[in-house]
Amino acid sequence: MFQAQLSNLTKVALIGSPNSGKSLLFNRLTGLNQKVANFPGITVDIASGRSLEQKHIEYLDFPGVYSLRAISGEEQIAIQAFISALEDDLLDTVICVVDTTRLEKGLIFALQVLETCLQYNKPLVIAANMVDVLDQNGMKFDAEGLAQALDVAVVPLSAKSGAGLQQLGEALSAASAPSKKFESDIIASDESINHLHAQQLAEQFGPKGDVLIDTQTRLDSFFLHSWFGGLSFFFIMYLLFQSIFTWAAPAMDAVESSIQWLASAVLPLVPVGVASDFTSDALFGGIGAFLVFVPQIFVLTLVVGILEDSGYLARAAVICHKPLRVFGLTGKSFIPMLSGVACAIPGVYAARTVDSPRKRWLTYLAIPLMPCSARLPVYSLIIAAFIPAQKAMGGLIGWQGLAMFSIYLFGILCALLVTAVVSRSNAELRSDLPFVLEMPPYRLPSWRPLFRNAWNRSKHFVTKAGKVIFFVTVVIWVLGYFPNQGASLGESWLGSMGQWIEPIFEPIGLDWRYGVAILTSFLAREVFVGTLGTMFGIEGSEDFASLAQQIQDSGLPLGSGAALLVFFAIALQCVSTLAVLQRETKSWRLPIQLFISYSIFAYIAALSVFHVVEALT
Amino acid sequence: MTLWDLTQGASAKVSRFKSSTQGSYRTRLSELGFHPGEQIACVLSPSMGAPKLYRVNNTVYSLDDSIASLIEVA
Repeated sequence: MFQAQLSNLTKVALIGSPNSGKSLLFNRLTGLNQKVANFPGITVDIASGRSLEQKHIEYLDFPGVYSLRAISGEEQIAIQAFISALEDDLLDTVICVVDTTRLEKGLIFALQVLETCLQYNKPLVIAANMVDVLDQNGMKFDAEGLAQALDVAVVPLSAKSGAGLQQLGEALSAASAPSKKFESDIIASDESINHLHAQQLAEQFGPKGDVLIDTQTRLDSFFLHSWFGGLSFFFIMYLLFQSIFTWAAPAMDAVESSIQWLASAVLPLVPVGVASDFTSDALFGGIGAFLVFVPQIFVLTLVVGILEDSGYLARAAVICHKPLRVFGLTGKSFIPMLSGVACAIPGVYAARTVDSPRKRWLTYLAIPLMPCSARLPVYSLIIAAFIPAQKAMGGLIGWQGLAMFSIYLFGILCALLVTAVVSRSNAELRSDLPFVLEMPPYRLPSWRPLFRNAWNRSKHFVTKAGKVIFFVTVVIWVLGYFPNQGASLGESWLGSMGQWIEPIFEPIGLDWRYGVAILTSFLAREVFVGTLGTMFGIEGSEDFASLAQQIQDSGLPLGSGAALLVFFAIALQCVSTLAVLQRETKSWRLPIQLFISYSIFAYIAALSVFHVVEALT
Repeated sequence: MTLWDLTQGASAKVSRFKSSTQGSYRTRLSELGFHPGEQIACVLSPSMGAPKLYRVNNTVYSLDDSIASLIEVA
């Protein structure tokens, strides 16, 4: 039985240009049964899923490409993945998705796909998407005429409404390899003749007149207007920022309290001692360490998805392009970097919207330097310890607020400085794909795929990055707990390590207790405050003011305080960010390089600041 | 005159690419519709040197000055 099912299994490849609605169609066809996999040796995510209607069909969703003639390494990889699939005997048919509202552009690509399918003797079905938009505008598209001219099935459909999906299924069962007799008529090796063919076909069979463009231009005149455009940009970015900072907060609190509740239910069942301490601090602490990020990832993925689907993301990229280009980045780097101000982890995920791989790589360099919210408790503690809570200029300016603002600004400037220097140091990073950005029509987002995507992204984080974060949490717990069964952190292995690395931090005036706190803050930067509280013998890390007082009383020089601020602004002290960077780049190379280079950068900057401040005071 | 010089609302035909244009850029721009002989309209020219919006057939693209100034129009 199983054998029979296996032998019936057929694969269908979905290919199309960005904005053709390919992924929406894939979601329609497969529902929730999706998984993302890599082709052997190819680092491109290919989503695959079983058909909802015909269980023996597995759909493969290839990344959107503008052409089968690659002009960059990453495009070449994506196209190679498609070619490898064509070589697979199990691959039955190719569906090329084209947007009928922009038929000529779609056909230029479809003709290239047809040529490739002829080469590999695979049947092709053209999914003529977005006919619902044509219907709304009272326009016609001659699918039959186009099908006859190309000798392939052309199915008018709407991925959004689901109309035409049944006909697509029928066309798939009936599809046969395109006949070669048309080859010389339709296919031209010369791109300009191919272009002419597409133009003629679109003129003959495509809708006549403008579709959506007038509305689109009107909306663009507003969203890209000097004043209204700027205001709406700030408003939308404010909402995005609020979504990760404020709206996700109740869910994050709920995750924390659920874990605490579960821990309090389980702990009485565990024997007191090592087992109970492990369960409470390492097991539940470790799970909590990564689950707490899930609401932020979910909310940000959803909000960025809404911006992308509605067409606004492309407009935001246009607005930010020029200022960010100075620093080697692109307009699309803005949203990931802004997200990084709340938390680097959703920021790294948001960088998927940066299509240019080199710019995405540069964006990855910038995100960990953005002043994330985990740095806030560290900054607050040090500022409370060193900067008097006094106000100047008739109470308008508070020195503590000014210090906080300065260190936030310092982080952002470091991020821009790093990308500006790195992008100029490497000729490959300077030259890139041309900045030609398609302005997709403004559309209402489709909610189900957006929620599904946010869910999948969160699941991906928990199952992939979660393992690394959990593992590191357990290792740090073991180091801090043994050999004295958690009696004193100072006498643990971690304490010894702190003393061992004391010579490193001594030149900036910090003793071994700070070394231990810096080591534990690798779990999450805010852990620094709690650890320091323990090291200073204060029970309950919430007692912020008394800890700040203790630090002050301990005679720590002002230079050391400033150096600590600068160190935390730069150092990549965050296992979760490193784990997510590893998942997104599919290699430990970038996270390790960044961790080492930012640690060195942070140390040198901290040392310099220490000497400058000490010389001035 | 290049595409970048086109003012908002004006349109012109692509005549050729500047000789300094990389081969890969020519290919991609042609595939997207910026092809000699094609009529292009500048639909929006935002202030402060932001990339401009150009319409080719039924598609609108945003091109920055470094790319738009490689395309000569007449």
